[in-house]
Amino acid sequence: MSIRFALVGNPNCGKTSLFNRLTGARAKVANYPGVTVERRSGSITHMAEPAELLDLPGTYSLFVTSPDEQVARDVILGKISGEAQPDVLIAVIDATNLRLGLRLVMELKSLNRPMILALNQMDAARSRGITINTAGLARDIGMPVIETVAVKRSGTDELRKLLAEFSANHAKNPLAKDTQTLSLNNIDDLSRDDSIEELYQHIETIMQAHVIQPVDLPRWQERLDSVVMHPILGLVVLFTILMVVFQAVFAWAAPVMDLIDAGTTVLGDAASSSLPDGILKDFIVQGLIAGLGSVIIFLPQIIILFFFILVLEDTGYLTRAAFLLDRPMRGLGISGRSFIPLLSSFACAIPGIMSTRSISDPRERFITIMIAPLMTCSARLPVYALIIGAFIPEQSVGIFNLQGLTLFALYLAGVVSAAIIALIMRRNQAREHYPLLLELPSYRWPMAYHLLMGLKERAWIFLRRVGTIILALSIVLWVLVTFPGAPADAVRPAIEYSFAGQLGGWMQHLFAPLGFTWEMCIALIPAMAAREVAVSALATVYAVGGDNVDAALGTALGQAWSLPVALAYLVWFVYAPQCIATIAVVKRETNSMKSTIWFTLYLFALAYFAAWLTYTIASWLI
Amino acid sequence: MSSALAHSTNTFRLDECSKGTQVRIVDLHPQSLFGEQDERVTLRLKELGFLPGALLKVIGFGLLGSDPLAVQVNGTKFALRRAEAAKIRVELISGSH
Repeated sequence: MSIRFALVGNPNCGKTSLFNRLTGARAKVANYPGVTVERRSGSITHMAEPAELLDLPGTYSLFVTSPDEQVARDVILGKISGEAQPDVLIAVIDATNLRLGLRLVMELKSLNRPMILALNQMDAARSRGITINTAGLARDIGMPVIETVAVKRSGTDELRKLLAEFSANHAKNPLAKDTQTLSLNNIDDLSRDDSIEELYQHIETIMQAHVIQPVDLPRWQERLDSVVMHPILGLVVLFTILMVVFQAVFAWAAPVMDLIDAGTTVLGDAASSSLPDGILKDFIVQGLIAGLGSVIIFLPQIIILFFFILVLEDTGYLTRAAFLLDRPMRGLGISGRSFIPLLSSFACAIPGIMSTRSISDPRERFITIMIAPLMTCSARLPVYALIIGAFIPEQSVGIFNLQGLTLFALYLAGVVSAAIIALIMRRNQAREHYPLLLELPSYRWPMAYHLLMGLKERAWIFLRRVGTIILALSIVLWVLVTFPGAPADAVRPAIEYSFAGQLGGWMQHLFAPLGFTWEMCIALIPAMAAREVAVSALATVYAVGGDNVDAALGTALGQAWSLPVALAYLVWFVYAPQCIATIAVVKRETNSMKSTIWFTLYLFALAYFAAWLTYTIASWLI
Repeated sequence: MSSALAHSTNTFRLDECSKGTQVRIVDLHPQSLFGEQDERVTLRLKELGFLPGALLKVIGFGLLGSDPLAVQVNGTKFALRRAEAAKIRVELISGSH
């Protein structure tokens, strides 16, 4: 036997941080309503029997308005096939936001399931002067009530103890599987209208009996909001934050990157001098060290980017940005609700596309999915950084440097194109109105524990990719560029006789109008598995084919490519759907083959056209 | 305010209120922009605490055309569009509309 607990609650109630504490799992905590759209589960140790904990998407009500709320509801009601109904619901309430939370709890209670109520963020509530009589509350709502503080290690001890009791009881006396769950279908919308008011009256009585709380929010929160949400000052703040992020990605990462670069060079030299000449040495130096080292070097930049996204999410700032950008974005057929999925897509389009489940309007959701990959994901960063480093001089333009500005321009190109595409897609659709109704959560200090968890998770995902998919592709590519060897009477470099050389030669016909060399074409193929592999592919191709193996990749490219070609290559990467995983997730989320094919074709066509245009114009100017 | 005159009592639509205004919700009205979904929007608003009698404070506006607006109800802040706000009829407690 095993017992299954599920965490249920409003978005922003701190469910996910509670989940992290209880399971020790590496799950991300966020402040934005609707970020937890994936199924998250983990096991709780020290229970009487194996215990699973499920972290459900945040929801305000069982009467759902978006796909992620639907998921939460269906799991609670046991309506998802292959997903057993949870044995015990742990309702989580943000103690600083009691009424809203209690309403959902009362609704859940009417389902007649075993339940526990966790009053989370009790530390914040106390410092605001909120006092709650837990015993009285428990008596009145008829379920155990536990105070929790997810920030502190010991903050969940009491809850853990109660869960252990439940599991001990469950082990001795498992509930019958058909414990009666009331059906929601019996309640029609009309009677529901009355029940909302009745429920709130009931909650009001309970609050008056057991809760003392000040009317006003803390003053610093109000002051912060009067700047951050100001129509003009707020935008200044937003753009300053974005500029700082882009500058930081380049400037702060540089020292660590130099260190990694020096490390790989030393390693390569050591391998070169200690290994006997032959195929093994070539493989280790050109295939492994050149291929993997060229990708690992971008880890610091990726960590910095994720650091900023996590901090902005956890503090509650992102919903304010969504509020500010709602009106401008609505002109494009999307809304403030699309802002978070699109921003996540700067890290990676896959979680971005999955988090569109919090968007109620199906049209808006579709447009957001279609344009999400135009947001520059972190896998493109290595490609951009390499080419910018090789071709754009390190000059100052005012307070910014030219390389940082070029990077910003590439990001901007993606965003502007996304806006245009959205506009075109919107024109074909009759618009139906959907409400915004976005909760703006209280500001919170980001928790170091969860920030570290999140960054560790990201670093680990990246390194795992380097160790698996990028390693495998590096090996395959090295084989392709090494075999077959050149014939004895070869007049051209050996690499042009290899499989890769031949394949690149064919592809080059297709890409000739864009000015791409065959080496560039070759790098596009493994980049379909992961964009950053383009960098290691180029490293391997130039390490094998080049006369000077020791030259840094950037220097080699600087000599081999002209500036217009380099720019065209950058632009290709802005648009091309160079990642099979993204195409797969589009298929899964749209559930339509037609949409997926359209998605792939339009992005490739756009990439080809934009790269051609860049090449033509740049050649003409230079 | 012509719409205020149209009603005999001294009530306004929430989207007519200016920043800093404190109001009490009187009632929720249908909004044709939401079409068939209107009933659902009303119910969701109520679930979030926008109920007759609730106290509400207008705390700010978005970028263009004062849209969306940010309000605080029961200690929780929400962003609403003008379309949703127009469903909410309110009476003034303090500030101007």
